[in-house]
Amino acid sequence: MSGYEKPTPRINPDNARFWESAHEGVLRLPRCKACRAWHWPPGPVCPDCFSDRIGWEEASGHGTVSTWTVVHKDWFPAFKADIPYAVAQIELAEGVCVTANIVDCPADELRVGLPVEVVFDRVTDTLTLPRFRPRRG
Amino acid sequence: MTEALRDKAAIVGIGTSRFGRHLPESQLALAAAAFKAALDDAGLERGDIDSLSIHIGWPLGVDYDQVAQAFGLEIGFVNQAWTHGRFVTGSLQTAAMAVACGMAEVVACVNVLSFTRERDILGGPHDFEGYRETGGTHAETPHYGLTAPAGGAALAMQRYMALYGTTSAELAAVPVALRAHARLNPKAVMQEPMSIADHQASRMVVDPLRLFDCCIVSDGAAVVLVTSAERARDLRQRPVYVAGMQGMKAGRDEFIFAPPGLGINQQSGVRAARPAARDLAVYGWADIPREAIQGLYTYDAFSPLVLFVLERFGFCAPGEAAAWVQDGCIGPGGALPVNTSGGLLSEAHVAGWNSLCEMVRQLRGEAGPRQIADARALQWATAWGDSVILRK
Repeated sequence: MSGYEKPTPRINPDNARFWESAHEGVLRLPRCKACRAWHWPPGPVCPDCFSDRIGWEEASGHGTVSTWTVVHKDWFPAFKADIPYAVAQIELAEGVCVTANIVDCPADELRVGLPVEVVFDRVTDTLTLPRFRPRRG
Repeated sequence: MTEALRDKAAIVGIGTSRFGRHLPESQLALAAAAFKAALDDAGLERGDIDSLSIHIGWPLGVDYDQVAQAFGLEIGFVNQAWTHGRFVTGSLQTAAMAVACGMAEVVACVNVLSFTRERDILGGPHDFEGYRETGGTHAETPHYGLTAPAGGAALAMQRYMALYGTTSAELAAVPVALRAHARLNPKAVMQEPMSIADHQASRMVVDPLRLFDCCIVSDGAAVVLVTSAERARDLRQRPVYVAGMQGMKAGRDEFIFAPPGLGINQQSGVRAARPAARDLAVYGWADIPREAIQGLYTYDAFSPLVLFVLERFGFCAPGEAAAWVQDGCIGPGGALPVNTSGGLLSEAHVAGWNSLCEMVRQLRGEAGPRQIADARALQWATAWGDSVILRK
């Protein structure tokens, strides 16, 4: 963990599988085994049918930007060198919406509806953050 | 059923501390000043206060046990909310319900915020709620550098702009109108004139929100005293009645800083053309139609929230609020004045209680140069769907 000073996610029994999968380079999301609906954020029951039978399945990693912002204020000392940086919400092909950075994208190309794909950024020996970049090809 | 509570509770006293930035007083000292002012306003003694409704607790404000101990009160009913601005309405509603059902005699709603002393709570490494595993309450995701309530408001406004073509210069009409109100209020922290050009020149904080789209970071206290309508009739001030109420909305199609269905977090992205009946229940409870509302008061932590509340309560249709607020419509003397004391954007951030005190002043006819002519019915309403209608 040495040298990584940015905040890290709190990992609990409901979301641990997501972070373990990301560290393996796989975007895996909760999906109900009963009604087959994907959902986000991870939880103990399916918000659609209320089943306890939650599974984890690999997602496409593709989606579109549903909204975005560029942060100009140095709230976090550890992010100061990154300013301005982009954070977006991405509507994944599976129908759920996740929040993450957009990388490899000039600020003037950010827009609602931009097609993106996941990339995995191994930031420490134990943590990998999924981020998104404009879809190629 | 709700009509049974119409006009059963009343606000009988209001008091504020001074408002400012970097005030030397502790939170308890500011609260004491406001508490004494409210008792004096109502003609009550501290021994008359048997209940507390606390919106913002420690560290930003004060907790109920501190207040009771420090002010020498004998308290028999307490409500204290989570330390978030969003619970302003519920804190007042709980006080009104408690006196209406006889559980409380006189409730002191004690509200103090020392943002300049505790500003770490507004985002960054020390905003511990932002680390919530399912996402922060305003969509904070600290590991991606998204923090602070402003981040959530920015995500919502960015999508709103993309959907409806709204510009930052149109959004500027909101803070410009509230500054015009504030300049009629000597107590307001912000007294400098603000033009649309000034807004456009203010620095970008979290795109598309500029500095002047964000409320001021200030210190201050406000106390509102609530009792039953029967008791209110014997007190010093003409009562201001709680005519109607409706509660906060939550669910997968809700996001605290967006209208339902805008498409933030898990919102569907499908907006209804007009509000559903459950979203307008306050008018029926009060037996006062929206058309009779003479002034709107709202939690304006960020300028987009004013657009969103106007659409949420059907003052205009989805996507039309930015056009609707142009040309002074919500400013002094406008068709629907909003936050006539200057709101969180220009008076002070007392979590909306400064605006609730202003509603009482307006309904008593004590608002001086800001007075809404013959004010009879005013509405408090938020972008997250709760509301209280006050009448004289």
